Amino acid sequence: MTSLKRSLVSDPYASNISSKVYVRSTKAGKVQKIVRELYLRQDIPCSSKLCTACLKNAPRDASGILAPFVLSAKPAGTKKYTQGHYLVPDTNALLNALDLFEQKSAFYDVIILQTVLEELRNRSIPLYNRLIGLTKSEEKRFHVFFNDFRLETYVTRGEGVSINDRNDRAVRRAVKWYSEHLAQAVKAADGKSGQVPAVVMLSDDKENLKKAKKDGIDSCSLREYVDGLDDANNLLDMIAVVKEGREIKDTKMVQKVHKDYLTVSKMMTGVKNGTLHQGIFNVTPYNYLVGSIKVPAFDKPLMILGRESMNRAVHGDVVVVEVLTKDQWKEASTKIIEEETINKDENADAEDGEAVVTEREQRALQEEVKRVHSKTSEGRAQPTAKVVGVIKRNWRQCVGHIEESSVSKSGKPQMVFLIPMDKKIPKIRVRTRQAAEIVGKRVLVTIDSWDVDSRYPVGHFVRSLGDVENKAAETEALLLEYDVQYRPFPKAVLDCLPAEGHDWIVPPSTDDPGWQDRRDLRHLQICSIDPIGCQDIDDALHARPLPNGNFEVGVHIADVSHFVKPNSAMDAEASIRGTSVYLVDKRIDMLPMLLGTDLCSLKPYVQRYAFSAIWEITPDAEIVNSEFTKSVIKSREAFSYEQAQLRVDDQSQQDDLTLAIRTLLTLSKKFKQKRMDAGALSLSSPEVKVEMESETSDPIDVKTKKHLDTMSLVEEFMLLANTSVAAKIYSAFPQTAMLRRHGAPPKTNFEELALQLKTKRGLELSVDSSKALADSLDTCIDPNEPFFNTLVRIMATRCMMAAEYFCSGTQAYPEFRHYGLASEIYTHFTSPIRRYADLVAHRQLAAAIDYEPIHAAVRSKGKLEAVCRNINVRHRNAQLAGRASIEYYVGQALKGRIVEEEGFVMKVFSNGFVVFVPRFGIESLIRLRDLAEPEPEGVFDAEEYVLETKGSREIRVELFGKVVVRISDVLEEKTGKRVVKSEFVKSGGKE
Amino acid sequence: MPLDTSTYSLALLRLDGRRWNELRRLTAQISTQVAADGSSYLEMGNTKVMCTVAGPSEAKGAGGVRLGNDRADIRVSISIAGFSGVDRKKSGRNDKRLMEMQHTIASAFAQNLFTKLYPHSTISLSIHVLSQDGSLLAACINACTIALIDAGVPMHDYICACTAGSTSSYSSNDETADPLLDLNTMEEQELPFLTVATMGESDSVSVLIMETKVQVGRLEGMLAVGVDGCKQVRAILDGVARARGTKMLEGSRM
Repeated sequence: MTSLKRSLVSDPYASNISSKVYVRSTKAGKVQKIVRELYLRQDIPCSSKLCTACLKNAPRDASGILAPFVLSAKPAGTKKYTQGHYLVPDTNALLNALDLFEQKSAFYDVIILQTVLEELRNRSIPLYNRLIGLTKSEEKRFHVFFNDFRLETYVTRGEGVSINDRNDRAVRRAVKWYSEHLAQAVKAADGKSGQVPAVVMLSDDKENLKKAKKDGIDSCSLREYVDGLDDANNLLDMIAVVKEGREIKDTKMVQKVHKDYLTVSKMMTGVKNGTLHQGIFNVTPYNYLVGSIKVPAFDKPLMILGRESMNRAVHGDVVVVEVLTKDQWKEASTKIIEEETINKDENADAEDGEAVVTEREQRALQEEVKRVHSKTSEGRAQPTAKVVGVIKRNWRQCVGHIEESSVSKSGKPQMVFLIPMDKKIPKIRVRTRQAAEIVGKRVLVTIDSWDVDSRYPVGHFVRSLGDVENKAAETEALLLEYDVQYRPFPKAVLDCLPAEGHDWIVPPSTDDPGWQDRRDLRHLQICSIDPIGCQDIDDALHARPLPNGNFEVGVHIADVSHFVKPNSAMDAEASIRGTSVYLVDKRIDMLPMLLGTDLCSLKPYVQRYAFSAIWEITPDAEIVNSEFTKSVIKSREAFSYEQAQLRVDDQSQQDDLTLAIRTLLTLSKKFKQKRMDAGALSLSSPEVKVEMESETSDPIDVKTKKHLDTMSLVEEFMLLANTSVAAKIYSAFPQTAMLRRHGAPPKTNFEELALQLKTKRGLELSVDSSKALADSLDTCIDPNEPFFNTLVRIMATRCMMAAEYFCSGTQAYPEFRHYGLASEIYTHFTSPIRRYADLVAHRQLAAAIDYEPIHAAVRSKGKLEAVCRNINVRHRNAQLAGRASIEYYVGQALKGRIVEEEGFVMKVFSNGFVVFVPRFGIESLIRLRDLAEPEPEGVFDAEEYVLETKGSREIRVELFGKVVVRISDVLEEKTGKRVVKSEFVKSGGKE
Repeated sequence: MPLDTSTYSLALLRLDGRRWNELRRLTAQISTQVAADGSSYLEMGNTKVMCTVAGPSEAKGAGGVRLGNDRADIRVSISIAGFSGVDRKKSGRNDKRLMEMQHTIASAFAQNLFTKLYPHSTISLSIHVLSQDGSLLAACINACTIALIDAGVPMHDYICACTAGSTSSYSSNDETADPLLDLNTMEEQELPFLTVATMGESDSVSVLIMETKVQVGRLEGMLAVGVDGCKQVRAILDGVARARGTKMLEGSRM
């Protein structure tokens, strides 16, 4: 018999093949054993410019190109390492202080080991992505050294050795190899041992540092290293708080203020068999002690009451909760509880022995419970739950300001509280040594951790944005808060622009390849109608009568896809930005200015490439046929809504353009009627405009937006274009069309509003279909109060689901429906300059009409889903940022003024109420303690939504009631924002 | 989570430390089962297959009726051991993927072997997969080639196979992606790849299968690398066959 046993000697590879065996568990809970080969090699270069030996056998890619060596021959040094040094951080160094490595003032020539990179990826994907970004930037000179593939630096994991110890050893081995290798390289280069840069290991692990010292490896802790830099004070704050005193604490037996989380496997099994529930944790805006979480198993969101139940969850985290027993279910809170008033003068340095719930918090909650018990509120109790674990933290950088009372005057490093601008995020404890300087500034911090023994999360300082209320700082704060990408476009993106710049024109010769398959529509009387001062004109329209009595109507959209090709750097940037963001005084573009406001923009009097949708429409607004084509157009005029309106109304104007606009207007009214008949909703959101002084751009006044017929003209035709395009791309690409849907809101969303309308006004709100809802909203009228209907619409809008982009293959056809527009299918096509979704729709439509082959990126379902996820978030954030910007400017515009305005009560709590002031589009909270001193006693009738006060001031407010408030501005201490403050004057209207 | 294929560009190293144009360790043995007419055992990295050849033998139908036509019939059966993959999986009798592989192998060898020399007979190849780690079809073809050599069935030339892929996925649409040679499971799951087999040292392709999507611009590079890989495989298989031959000659001399 022949033996199959291989003798080692005959194997030419034996010494350099190793295998990596590890066990992993899958999502389904299965355990898999993975065996992988490792080919160890000696041609992995050190990438130092000092070394010539490595350069000789450095790898080349398939086209024979050599990756350039990164690490500088003369790296920077510090006092300790005067000869210059390369840095080798270990995993915890990167985890604790990646912000440091991104600094411009230091941290150049860094070697990232494969071991570290892998470990970092396991620990935090966002940090990993940031690090990969760093390794790609040329100026920072980061090199990834694959130490686990190099024969000399490969380390095997011994029996009983923990993976961490093995990795630490691998790091030390690599550092040692590097320093020996460099010494050799320098010797080989000039024949004697010259200046060899030190290779310094950065670690925060004491054990690792100790072992490194023993092995004779240059090493130091992050803190030690940063201390030796010029910029030390500033940089030191960026290191995350490491649990230095861990040992001491352990012996003292920490008093845990929170419960430990369950293990991952326990949570997984719990969620699987239904005893636990997973969802996204949200904090209610008015009461920081109440959170809610929507889980599939319950119709109503589960309430999470109090800090103990929240158990260190922060707004936005994906958490696992356990539902509490029925006797602990509570009624939804009717009380306003704000963190600042309850835990005012806490000491940030105090750490041990505090209870999770302070006495005052306890009292606030107690009252709540008493109230619930005293009343027989059968059936109104909501299920409550407690957090038992966190699946994924949604911690991001947050902007806020330092709580002044937590700062002590000494210059020593100290713990201070940072109060985030977002009220839903708890205070963050930050260690800083520049407390005195950053008080009164907007600062950016990152949350690092939240330990069981701490009442607040711990974070570290990233940078200061500028003074509170400074315009630039506030704008930047707002952009950071909503994660808007506002940095200038990188060079790679600008390189994608046409070389001609602003001189680019539509090629004069129709033989030019740019003209291929483009229809010449330059003879048409096309015009655009936009808000005043609009520079990025996406759309233009035309209409002309046809001999058969019908009309030809065309919607022409800027042909952005001609300039932004798939997979270019510009496309990548645009897909990340997702949308342009409009702030009161600023616009953050999705595409570079050259395209957005010039080459793509359908400016008047010049020829532009366009993507046209052309319909034949009967006078009764029936569509006879439709077609799509790429075209060249020349807009005759760019109107503002007001100008267009004037022209239409002025009967003396009888030119072609005006006639065309009138035709369009008539048709649009018919289209609108049809939509309304089909059950489209007309919803409302408070919209105001801030008027700015033209020179200083300081806000001077606030106006509510006026609605003009020409606005709905444009809107109708954009809707028409969007629906037609949606149907077209869906028929061409049933699996991958980029569409937009608006889900029907669950009935429970309207329960509260319907109940309120019924008890207060005896009105029925029917929510069976969008048509029924639209009709019943029409009946919600108060003859004495014209605004009442708008108020109800505003409140109804808040019960809606958010519309979202999706890829057609991910939903069944009935789910495509756009509830608000009562359209079966819908997409966004008409604003490719400012929305990425439209750009994708353009590409798909171009392919659907055989203009160009479909590009792989807009055909891959997985890719499109990722794009949709991103743009949905970006779209929401852009809206929120826009609103926040208006809110800020309204505050600024009212600065120093006091006005009395009418408002309406939108919400009533047991200790306060919310008033909506239409004039400024603001909502403000009035608490009982604001009414008079001492706080009047309130009697709240939850069934009737009436709040009456007794004692120092007697008032009576009810839901939907009209009140007069005195509006002034005040610098809110908690968020450092200048906000509008309303004081209650009286119930009833203003004379 | 270990690193994935996206890190290739950082240092031009693949997940297992190979360069783009390197084969995995390929070892093979001939005549591993004396009882069979021909047999072989082949490893490409962690993919391990055994092949035995029975025949050429007289094809007999039910009741001893002579079957077949003027050339030998090639039958291939593949059985995949339950323990060969990461998850223990029992493959059904009518596994379509297996049937396709069997058919591919049978038709490739029908072209290559001098089947006309054996009318009314059958050559059956039975392949046992002991461990899977990518390039399974290629490994099966290579194992069959040397098993058939062991069995002494005359053939035109070696049929040597390997896989070739591309370093970035279809949807990333990176035209400059490097081609890759000899993919393992991890790479096969993430990247586009094809299996190619050539007749000996010539460039004539006898098997070419691709089930993943890739832009046509990248295909040529992948194919070139694959064909080149086949030549390397041939050199190794040839070495194995010759070593076996030398040994046999030595044995007969004694």
